[in-house]
Amino acid sequence: MKPSVLSDMSVPVTPAPGRFTWMTDRIDFVDGLRIAVFAALAIGAVLTPGFLSVPSLLSLLTTLSFVGCVAVGMTMITLSGNIMSFSLGATAAAAAVAFVHVLNAWGLAAGIAAALVTGALISAAQGLIIGSLRANPIIVSIASLALIYGVLNLLTGNATLDVETGSVLSPAWRRPFGIPIEALAFLLCLFIGQCLLSFTVFGRRVFLIGSGMRSADVLGLRVWRSVTAVYAWAGVFAAMAGILLATRYNQANMEYGIGYDYDAIAAVLVGGVAIKGGIGSMWRTLAGVCLMATVQVVLLLHGFRQEWQYLIAGLIVLLVVVLQARRRS
Amino acid sequence: MKIISQKTRPYLILAATILVLAIVDRGRGNVLSGATVFSALQYLATLGPVALGLSLTMLVREYDLSVAGVFGLAGCVAVLVGADYPALGFAAAMLTGAASGFIQGLIITRLQMPSIGVTLGGLLTAIGLAYVITGNQTLSSDNIDLALALNARVAGLFTPRSIIALALAVAFAMALYWLWIGRDLIAIGSDRRAAHTAGVRVDALMVAVFTTSGVLAALSGALLSYSLASASPSGLSDVLVPATAAAILGGVSLSGGTGTPLGVTAGVLMLGVLRAGLNALGAPPFAHDMSMGAVLLAVAILDAPGIRAFFGRFQMTGNRAEDQTVRAR
Repeated sequence: MKPSVLSDMSVPVTPAPGRFTWMTDRIDFVDGLRIAVFAALAIGAVLTPGFLSVPSLLSLLTTLSFVGCVAVGMTMITLSGNIMSFSLGATAAAAAVAFVHVLNAWGLAAGIAAALVTGALISAAQGLIIGSLRANPIIVSIASLALIYGVLNLLTGNATLDVETGSVLSPAWRRPFGIPIEALAFLLCLFIGQCLLSFTVFGRRVFLIGSGMRSADVLGLRVWRSVTAVYAWAGVFAAMAGILLATRYNQANMEYGIGYDYDAIAAVLVGGVAIKGGIGSMWRTLAGVCLMATVQVVLLLHGFRQEWQYLIAGLIVLLVVVLQARRRS
Repeated sequence: MKIISQKTRPYLILAATILVLAIVDRGRGNVLSGATVFSALQYLATLGPVALGLSLTMLVREYDLSVAGVFGLAGCVAVLVGADYPALGFAAAMLTGAASGFIQGLIITRLQMPSIGVTLGGLLTAIGLAYVITGNQTLSSDNIDLALALNARVAGLFTPRSIIALALAVAFAMALYWLWIGRDLIAIGSDRRAAHTAGVRVDALMVAVFTTSGVLAALSGALLSYSLASASPSGLSDVLVPATAAAILGGVSLSGGTGTPLGVTAGVLMLGVLRAGLNALGAPPFAHDMSMGAVLLAVAILDAPGIRAFFGRFQMTGNRAEDQTVRAR
């Protein structure tokens, strides 16, 4: 067709050919720098009095898990070359509302299933439009954001929905083996996400499409299927965040998840997933999520007030994103 | 092939919105009233300059997420610095916006980085700065006279704020239409390398565009804060989504190279008319979200390369070449 197609295809698809591996990307100099920053931060954190206490670590794990689940979904979208979504936070809110609603009627298992299906459907619909028509992912996500909030407002009237039994989980279930259930769910999401990327043909296609959608077209892949699946999974992971929020507070509100999109894409970028798609892994996202959360806790323990935490978090995102520039030049 | 020309689309959508609202109103005169026009113009006063700046960055195929942060930050700066001398506060706010846009523009052009990552960092940093300088509190200004003056009605329908927004739109429209700037910006947005080869000073113009975007966002934020006689670091930041929606409805495309300031103004007015008209009809609050989401989604679908290629098949063979270039983009 055109020479530009060839140049697209010459972009290396990162995983080594022929083999399925855990390490879907290589570590380069900038990552070395990033690891050094992480290590410095880790040492700083460990030296901070009060950081290494069990309650502090557990609360850190709990707070990072909500955004973490959304970030796992965001990673799928970013990796597939669709930059970011503005509607995952709203998807989480919708899932939380669906969860509590169905939970009150039919019980916990049905509630979880309903929430996951809700998230998957909301998100997959966007993926279908983006994948099959090649509509702009950012615009579709903004339109969906407005639609989701509109429908949620229609259904709930912006009222808080309470769990009728009072509490979703018994105290024992809140901390199985002493680990917060939120952290376990987050790790499960990470594990599922990385397994999808590393061990399935679908994962291969995500990387290929992220490296260049047109080369994927030329290769004869049915891109729309993969993109729809990417968004469906992203919706499932966002729904998980919604379920966790509803479980934690024993209620659901359409205001849940506001601002999670920005936090999630920040974590994804700080971890080093390429904004243009095709390069990255869930481990990077995990590193990004941990970094952002740890910085906040360390600042808090050092007596910085919340406003300074916001500022320093912003500066870190800016710094790490700028560091990323060197990789390509 | 284009289903609706992007040049005429914003005006068509605006006219259609007014028409539909008037039909739903059935001649009771709730919608087609001075109050609706006034409130739509007030919406334009707040959102118009932001959308204008954002659309300039979209015109050169970038996307300035930071406008939302700069909008809030500038409002806080204006109220803080301008406690005694509002003009000084206004100048400080504009300077903040200019500096923020200039720095981000430099990073994006010098390091050749995708703007989404950089401006995400800028957004979070600006929000953080706003929290720090206000000490995480809502500021109120004693200058009620200024607030009254900014909200005073001029000729029944306008206020000084909306006149400024309209004047800015006209000024930018004239500058882009008659000066070389418009041509060069469109060239950059359409094909950056070709524009560079043709002698367009790509980097300088891109920095200028981001600086302008920062200044315009700051202007809106400062004026809004003065007219409310208060500023808060959190309350004002939700402008990114409506500004993007207005730009897209106004005929700007995230793939660059299309859009005019007057079109964007029509896009903002459409959102304003929609909001004011639905209010006048007594529609519930979610009606605005849902109708905006639906219209935006429709535009995203109509703009999608896939749907153009689909309709292109039904055209005469003479249009094949154009169809292919559309698909290639």
